[in-house]
Amino acid sequence: MTISKWPIAMAIWAWMALAQAGPMGFKDSTMVMGDFGANWRESFANYALTPRDALGGGVTWMRSDDKLRTRQFTEATYTRLVKRWNGEHSQANVWFVGGMGAVTGNDFAGSKTMLSPGLALDYETTRVYTSASVRLYRASGINHDFASARAGFSFYEVDYDEVQPWLVLEVRRMRGLSDSTEITPMLRLIHNRYFVEFGVNQAKQGRFNFMYIF
Amino acid sequence: MKTFYNKQIAIKFIATCALFMAISGTISSVIAAETIKVTVNGMVCAFCAQGIEKRLTALPSTQTVFVDLKQRIVAVQVKEGQKMDSKVISHEITEAGYDVVKMESSSKTVDEIKAEFKSQKARK
Repeated sequence: MTISKWPIAMAIWAWMALAQAGPMGFKDSTMVMGDFGANWRESFANYALTPRDALGGGVTWMRSDDKLRTRQFTEATYTRLVKRWNGEHSQANVWFVGGMGAVTGNDFAGSKTMLSPGLALDYETTRVYTSASVRLYRASGINHDFASARAGFSFYEVDYDEVQPWLVLEVRRMRGLSDSTEITPMLRLIHNRYFVEFGVNQAKQGRFNFMYIF
Repeated sequence: MKTFYNKQIAIKFIATCALFMAISGTISSVIAAETIKVTVNGMVCAFCAQGIEKRLTALPSTQTVFVDLKQRIVAVQVKEGQKMDSKVISHEITEAGYDVVKMESSSKTVDEIKAEFKSQKARK
């Protein structure tokens, strides 16, 4: 992955972490998310104005693998629950997530405005989770499309107030950003108060995500 | 001798009255503890469904809330002496992003419902 691809990759990571449990909380709630690794640190928050609409913002700091270049992406986001199907023991969603912000870096002067519209689909039961997403990242001189898929299962069912462990596998590919498909298995722990994930990709890079809703 | 028997009868009468009052008091408190049981579609994840618990707990008439993902049940125990409109509960669950399928009133407390579900799971 070249250095110029990192802002996109990092933002996608953050967004994908959100997509697992829905990129917004319930009406009148504030959701915060953190995603931390050696080469990037991201924090994000949004507020659900309605059951279907949320406004927020995020800041992502990222660094290239060789540690020579860094970037910071600051964005304002709008999230929309386009459609939800509530089944007896399942739920499926279509999400729109759009972001607009500025990317700065130590390998170019000034900043660039970036637009990042995307769609995500997910389907889950109490034991199975699947999702797919596409997102475009467009700025002057930058045009990167992204696609990903996730699938996972929980080891067992638990009561509402107990911790539920999941194993989730993420596969993603970025056009023009990387020649390889990244695969990351993750251990996910869900509680009614928090959501955390730990994972390591095939390049042995660690990852930690968390989400919390107020 | 007659006085002795009268005293015994009086004591038995008082004891019976006390017992009756205790039993009737227990029964009336159980009846007063109203709980609304709601069957909800879409509850698959505790983290996602916490919105239901938070919104319902914030209602002034709510004593306690219980969520069971497997049974698809949300139980709201109403504070003693207070009433709760089922439409309010339905609205809060819908605002949290879920669908209400069925609502029913129960004289059981949330703790009793919880214990009932636990014993059902244990039997399975």
